[in-house]
Amino acid sequence: MIRQPRSPRVNGAVRAMLLAAASVTLAACSDEPFDKESQIGPNPNLPEPNQYLVPPMNVAKAVGWGKDETPRAAQGLEVHALATGLEHPRSLLTLPNGDILVVEANGPGLEPTERPKDLVMGWVMSLAGGGGGGSANRITLLRDADGDGVPETRTAFLEHLFSPFGVVLIGQDLYVANTDAILRFPYKEGDTKITDPGTKLTELPGGPIDHHWTKAMTASPDGSKLYVGVGSNSNITENGLEAEKERAAVWEVDRATGAHRIFAGGIRNPTGLAFEPQSGKLWAVANERDELGPNLVPDYLTSVKDGAFYGWPYSYYGQHVDPRVQPQRPDLVASAIPPDYALSSHVAPLGLVFSTAQSLPEQYRGGAFVGEHGSWDRHEFNGYKVVYVPFSNGQPNGKAQDVVTGFLNDKEEARGRPVGVALDKSGALLIADDLGNTVWRVTPAKTVSNAAP
Amino acid sequence: MLRRNKMWRGKRRLGSADKTLTDFNPKSTARIGGHPIHPMLVPFPIACFVGTLLTDIAYWRTADIMWSNFSAWLLTAGLIMGGLAAVAGLIDVLGSRAVRSARPVWPHMIGNILVLALSLWNAFVHSRDAWTSVVPTGLILSAVVVLILLFTGWMGWALVYRHRVGVSQ
Repeated sequence: MIRQPRSPRVNGAVRAMLLAAASVTLAACSDEPFDKESQIGPNPNLPEPNQYLVPPMNVAKAVGWGKDETPRAAQGLEVHALATGLEHPRSLLTLPNGDILVVEANGPGLEPTERPKDLVMGWVMSLAGGGGGGSANRITLLRDADGDGVPETRTAFLEHLFSPFGVVLIGQDLYVANTDAILRFPYKEGDTKITDPGTKLTELPGGPIDHHWTKAMTASPDGSKLYVGVGSNSNITENGLEAEKERAAVWEVDRATGAHRIFAGGIRNPTGLAFEPQSGKLWAVANERDELGPNLVPDYLTSVKDGAFYGWPYSYYGQHVDPRVQPQRPDLVASAIPPDYALSSHVAPLGLVFSTAQSLPEQYRGGAFVGEHGSWDRHEFNGYKVVYVPFSNGQPNGKAQDVVTGFLNDKEEARGRPVGVALDKSGALLIADDLGNTVWRVTPAKTVSNAAP
Repeated sequence: MLRRNKMWRGKRRLGSADKTLTDFNPKSTARIGGHPIHPMLVPFPIACFVGTLLTDIAYWRTADIMWSNFSAWLLTAGLIMGGLAAVAGLIDVLGSRAVRSARPVWPHMIGNILVLALSLWNAFVHSRDAWTSVVPTGLILSAVVVLILLFTGWMGWALVYRHRVGVSQ
């Protein structure tokens, strides 16, 4: 009885606390207005970093493609499925005879649960689909000899790989970059299956952890060196600095001896590598760090300079220091150079090919096609498309243009997600779609005469 | 009885309502086999949140990620067990006017709700990556939580050892 007057005060305090908790939750439900275009090009607008209490997350629900549904091609182009029913296709290679190799793979699933966050993230990512299942660890061959866009032959070309991603043919040597090693296989023109167990050329950083598992690979124009993109073992060193040894780098591997050196460092996750044909220089697309806000840090396309350091983990875009890394390294930050061309934040570029063919319309010649897998850590989706970055004199020249869109439907559900890009023998653009389990083929629209080589 | 009335800043409480207080020990409603559940659970959040402060300090001094991982697990375990302890405690408060009449019950309850709210905030801070998951915000929150626990713990022990809440007759 004596205590009665106290209870309203207690209720008031509880209510105030609940309100405070609710407002914290609500504060994180939309991105502040931001011009995404300002982060496409050589000098991106970089807002102040913001470490949210609950970082923005929006994972597109995976629904797949309905019957007869396709992505949308830009004007003057059309898109058709070259192959469907694949198992998480990630990257593509066109062989000299026109056969197309489709690498079907997923991560090796070696990442341990280190803290409660990993459990929560695992659950959120499982909503996106495509991440949870095992890895097919296979390369499928597609042969469309008559070039009508319908392959007559489809074989399991190479099996029992270990989370492969990069694949390169030099002469009669086929190199496959598994997540933990580069293997060499003998290949003869016309082969539809390889049974040789392969020879290990060099080991690559795989497990333990293997946070960024893809090993993109390309060969130098003279065929003497292989270049391998080795992603970091964390978002931003949360697995410890020791786990990052020789990672977040582009490796140069000598084809004859298998010896390697770090060609360039500080690139968080170089997921696509290609030589720019006019300048003969190596270029990469890379995925930058997360959890500094919806508009940081822009992923990028850059030339990869021999011996250069691009900042990760200590800084981004030159000298923008990341406060999450300890101990800090002002000496390395001082040496960091900014990448050449920003692609906007969290678009997740995973594929890169330079447009060397003559069959696509004029506006798509000489530049770079980039497959943008799409965002998950911002509210407004970004990416989920294939863009074209025009080049002139070996340098990007102009804004990235949408080439293939519509991977998200009107309800913003994911029907597909583009990854690797390649050109087929006719010069058509191929896109591996690892959610839609399809390879898309983009050709000039029928009204334009279909140029055959 | 005189001693007990003196317990909370010595203020004497007289009148008919005190009859129940002085004649019988306040009963715990959430109990198993006559043993109150709340005091069985409270050691877990106390140990976990004190442990969080220690591992946070270790991470702050060493930058060894292992310590920040320990903190994140300790915080999560503390929140789960602390949440269960809060439920049992709340049942005891709602279930007995005599418990509500024991003065330390309110500072104990409000303080511990604050402990859980701050620790939830702290768990989100600890879910960031690397250095700023602990330094400085996480470390400060962990220290504030331990300071509040010193007070609320003292109040809780007063409820049992002085006011005999949940002690059998």
